[in-house]
Amino acid sequence: MLMEVKNQFKITLLSVKYALVREMLNKTTFITNILFMILNNASFIIQWIVLYSLKDNIGGYTFNQVLLLWGIAASTYGFSHFFFKNAYYLSDTINNGKLDSFLVQPKNVLLSAITNSVETSAIGDFIYGYIMLFIFGFSIKNFILFTFFTICGGFILTSISVILSSLSFWFNKSDIIVDTGNSLMTSLATYPDGIFKGIVKILIYTLIPAGIVNYIPVEIMTEFNINLFLIVIIFTITLISLAFLIFYKGLKRYSSSNLMVARI
Amino acid sequence: MRKYLFIFKSELMSTLQYVFNIAAGFIGCFILLFIFLNLWQYIYSNPSEIINGYTMNQMIWYIIITEILWGISSGKKICVKISNDIKGGNIAYNLNKPYNYILYSLFSHLGSAFVKAIIYTILGMIVGFMFLGSFPNLNILSIIAVILTSVLSTIISALLVSFIGLFSFIIEDSTPFYWLYSKLILIVGTIFPIEYFPSIIQPILKLSPVYVVCYGPAKLFVDFSLNNFITVFISQIIYIGIGFGLCTLLYKKGVKNLNVNGG
Repeated sequence: MLMEVKNQFKITLLSVKYALVREMLNKTTFITNILFMILNNASFIIQWIVLYSLKDNIGGYTFNQVLLLWGIAASTYGFSHFFFKNAYYLSDTINNGKLDSFLVQPKNVLLSAITNSVETSAIGDFIYGYIMLFIFGFSIKNFILFTFFTICGGFILTSISVILSSLSFWFNKSDIIVDTGNSLMTSLATYPDGIFKGIVKILIYTLIPAGIVNYIPVEIMTEFNINLFLIVIIFTITLISLAFLIFYKGLKRYSSSNLMVARI
Repeated sequence: MRKYLFIFKSELMSTLQYVFNIAAGFIGCFILLFIFLNLWQYIYSNPSEIINGYTMNQMIWYIIITEILWGISSGKKICVKISNDIKGGNIAYNLNKPYNYILYSLFSHLGSAFVKAIIYTILGMIVGFMFLGSFPNLNILSIIAVILTSVLSTIISALLVSFIGLFSFIIEDSTPFYWLYSKLILIVGTIFPIEYFPSIIQPILKLSPVYVVCYGPAKLFVDFSLNNFITVFISQIIYIGIGFGLCTLLYKKGVKNLNVNGG
């Protein structure tokens, strides 16, 4: 069992490595994509400078904490979109019968399907996250925690996309649900939770877990809390398991569309 | 001109087939509006408070209008289409066609934007009324002014985005430039009116695309004045002239290189 996991991990890393090499063929485009994504994210600092000129504290967050919130949101997004880019196109892969080529390979179908290409600009998101960490306050403890939350958050974002995309096994047009779910996660993640009230506040810690991916990590990095730390770990493991479970349950319903494609 | 109207009409008819998808696209816009409603309700501790000349209701209506405008005219599709035409060599097939490529792209974009504009405006107004329970003070003149400046804003945005798409003649992938442009409009124009920025920057912003693409029509919607309308209108006409001129220049220069390279 452990050997199988190790082999699958190796294959996944190789798949990502070759996808990256393909992207690096045009070096100018590769570097421009990364640099401009960093600039693109940095432009949002203007928004917060203007908002903090109106109020010292927004939703219980100081300016530095908002930067950290942005950092975590960007790096989790970057991690997920770099390693598991195709999780965000899985709905299309299922709907158009493009899973065929992954089914015949002696590898984990889900992992093969979501790791066979990378998003170059996501490296920019990832780097931006760490720049924000340095501005917030660098220490070995913060660095380890930040990296840990980036990985957990990345897995959560990917799992949500896989779960929502797997609905395509049962329903047509589920791509709208996937887009809405992903859009909710990224949009809510970059605003302090203190501005939300009532049912939305409950939703961001349950159905739309932006709170687990972003708000709890900021809270832990500001003041360590072992209970909250454990909640993040348990939530991540549960969601990953759920993603595999739902995908493989749906896969039994999959039928090929006899689509002829060349994978180069 | 008739051929471009025909292009506009055929794109409009084709877009009408995807009305549901366009309406579904408003969900993303609705999420952002909902977040901004919460954010501004938090910042305005008292709804009758005035910050930088805007009440809370005016601020939220301002964002609704700019979000609608951005939803209609963001033009990512036109940028990607032009960029792909250049990268894939399809642009060569347009050289012997009896139309101007820039005008063809513009009218084709306007055809799809027209359907989007109607759907987004209806949904945006419903959402605004649902959130705030009232509309700003409007009259026939201000409604006409907002519609006219919004149409011109869509044209300007399409021209600027086309210009970015044509950058693919110089650098293979022009998408990163689109990101920067979209963030400039989104952050400086969509989220805040120009009055929210330091007074030193305000004159620069009034010369930037932000003024003609977002701020102008939205400001007229929340606080109409004839003088403001005339200023916005004239600025928009100047921007259309400059935008079209720049696109034509870059296209001609790019096509020349394309010929040298063999297409």
